Amino acid sequence: MNDELMIDVRDLHHAYTHGGVVEPVLHGIGLHVQRGEFVVVMGPSGCGKTTLLNIIGLMLTPTRAETVRVAGCETLGLDEALRTRLRRDALGFVFQRFNLLRTISVRRNVALPLGLRGMAADGPVDDLLARVGLAGMAHKKPGQLSVGQQQRVAIARAVVGRPALLLADEPTGNLDSANAAAVLDLLSEVHRADGQTIVMITHNEQLAVQADRVLHMRDGRILD
Amino acid sequence: MFALAWANLMHHKLRSLLSALAVGIGIMLMLVSNGLATGSLAEVDQRMQSVDAELVILPAQDNIIFTGGAPFRRGHEQHLCQAADERGPLAAEVIPVFFGQVKMGGQQQRLFGVDPRQMAAFLGPRRVLAGKLFERAGAFCDRLRAGEAAAPSLSDPAYQAFIADGLELVIDQRLQRVGGYRLSDELQIMGQVFRIVGIIETGVAGRVFAPLQTLREIALAGEPSASMYFVRLRPGLDPVAAADFFQRGLGSDVRVELKSDYGRLLRESFAQVSLYLNASSGVALSACFLFILLTMYTTVIERTREIGILKSLGVGRGGLLRLSINEALLISLGGVAIGMVLAFLVRGVLLVYKPLLTVELAGRGLAAAVIVGVVGGVLSALYPGYRAARLDPAVALSAE
Repeated sequence: MNDELMIDVRDLHHAYTHGGVVEPVLHGIGLHVQRGEFVVVMGPSGCGKTTLLNIIGLMLTPTRAETVRVAGCETLGLDEALRTRLRRDALGFVFQRFNLLRTISVRRNVALPLGLRGMAADGPVDDLLARVGLAGMAHKKPGQLSVGQQQRVAIARAVVGRPALLLADEPTGNLDSANAAAVLDLLSEVHRADGQTIVMITHNEQLAVQADRVLHMRDGRILD
Repeated sequence: MFALAWANLMHHKLRSLLSALAVGIGIMLMLVSNGLATGSLAEVDQRMQSVDAELVILPAQDNIIFTGGAPFRRGHEQHLCQAADERGPLAAEVIPVFFGQVKMGGQQQRLFGVDPRQMAAFLGPRRVLAGKLFERAGAFCDRLRAGEAAAPSLSDPAYQAFIADGLELVIDQRLQRVGGYRLSDELQIMGQVFRIVGIIETGVAGRVFAPLQTLREIALAGEPSASMYFVRLRPGLDPVAAADFFQRGLGSDVRVELKSDYGRLLRESFAQVSLYLNASSGVALSACFLFILLTMYTTVIERTREIGILKSLGVGRGGLLRLSINEALLISLGGVAIGMVLAFLVRGVLLVYKPLLTVELAGRGLAAAVIVGVVGGVLSALYPGYRAARLDPAVALSAE
C-alpha cells in the first residue's frame, strides 16, 4: 500500500439495474491519484465519469471491485455509518448544479460541513467567503446570487473543512466562459495554496490544461 | 440541524402555519373538552364540599352524576332519623335532598329540594343577598306535620292553596346574574308556578333551592324519600367508622360515602364519558398528526435533492431523522401554542354565551397538551424521517 495514494481503485466494475435490466457502466477501472494531485477526467456523456466519481465519493457502492481505497481507507465493506463519517471528514464535493441549500444563507451553507464536525465556523467561513470574493453576500440566500457566485459558494463549502479529497463533477458545466474560468482559477488556487487533492470531471479541454494529469474515459474504461 | 429545520419551515410559511393550525385545533378540542369536564366536576365537587356534613348517602346502583328521583325507601329515612335523634349515637343532623330539574339561565339546573330549616347547612358563612330563605320558612312543613293532609289531586284548588306558600325558590347570585332574575319572578316547574324569594351568595351546593316537602308533595305525593342524604356527625366522631355503621344499618342497596370522597366518586362516575371524550380528542389529534406526517412526507419527496446534498456533506441517517423530527416538533409545538391560545379564546367565548359552564385550563391539562404535542410530533416524523434516511445519496442527488 502506498501512503501517498489518495485514491487507489483496482478492477472496479459497476452496473445499474433498471426494472430487471442490467446495464454495465464501468468495466475494470483502475485509478491511482497521488496526494496533492489535480486530476481531470474527461470523456463523452454516459461513459461512466459521474458513476466513478460517485463511487470514489462513497455515494454509490460498486457492483464489484478488488479495492477502492479513498484517503487511506478501504471503502469496500464499510457500513453506512462509516461511509457517512468518511464522506463528512475527508471528502468535499462540487457539483455542476451547485447543490446549495436554498433555505439557508450563504454563510450557513458554507458553515454546514464545520457544524457537522462540531467545529467553530465563524472565522474560517468569513475568511473563505472573502477569499472567494463573496464577503458581502454572506447573509443572502443562494437564490439571490448569480450562477457564478453560487458555484463559488459551493467551492467554499466544499473546501471549508479542508477535506483530504475534493471531487468536482463538471463544476463549470452551467457557467459561461468567464465564470467557468473564474471557478477554475479558484480550484487551481485551492490546489496550489493548500495542496488540495482534486479530481474534476469536465468536458472542456481548455479547463483541463491546469490539471496535473488528464484521464480520458470511454465506454466505462480509462483510456490513458 | 435545528436551524436548518427552522429555515425549512420558514421557506414554506403557509404550509407550516396550516400544519401547526391543524394540530392547534386538535389540541384546542382536547383542552376544551377535558377542561369542560374537569372544570364542571371540580365545581360540583367544590360546591358539594360546602355542605356542613361529613357523609353522603346515595343509592348503590346510581351513577352519582345522574342521581335523582326518590330511590330511598321510607325505612331508610326512619333509620337515619333515629340515628339523628337526640338519643341516636352518631348523627347530629340528617339532611335529605330531593333533586328535581329546572331550566334556568339557558340550561338545565339541578333543583335542590331541601328542608328550609336546614338551609344553614348549605349556606354556611355565605350571605343572603336579597330576599329571604323561603318566605314562610317552615310554615308549610309545619302545617303538613300538623296533619293538614293534602288533597289527592294536584289540580284540586284546595291542594293548590295548600301548597302555595311552599312554591318558592332561592337561587344563587351567579344564576341570578346569568338569567337576569329578580325577586318575585315566577317560573313554571313541575306544573306549578314557583316564585323567587331569595338570592344567596355563589358557592353553595345548588344553584336553585326549593322546599323539600313541596317537591315531595308534587313528585312523591308526600312520600318521605329523597335523592340523597347528607349526614352531619356529632363532634369528634370518626367519619369512616360512622360510615360503616350507617352502611350496615341501611343495607347493600345504599352506599354511604365520605363527603370528602365526593369528587373522586364524581370522576369515577364520569369515567365512561371521560373515555368517550378522550377517544374523541384522540381521534381528532390523530388526524392532526397525520396531517403533519403528510406534510413531512411531502417535504421529503420535495426535498429529495436536498437530502442528497446533506448526505454528500456527511449527514447520516440519524441526522436526517433528527432533522425530520425537529421540523415536526417545531410544527407540533407551534400547534400546541396555537391550541392553547384557541382554548383560552373558546373559554372566553363560553364565559360570555354559557356563563354557567366552567372550563378548567389548568397546569395539568396544559402540560398534557405539551406532552401530546411532543409525542405526536416525534411519531409523525418517524416514517418520513426514515424514508429520508434510507434514500440513496447518488439517486437523491439526481432528483429533479
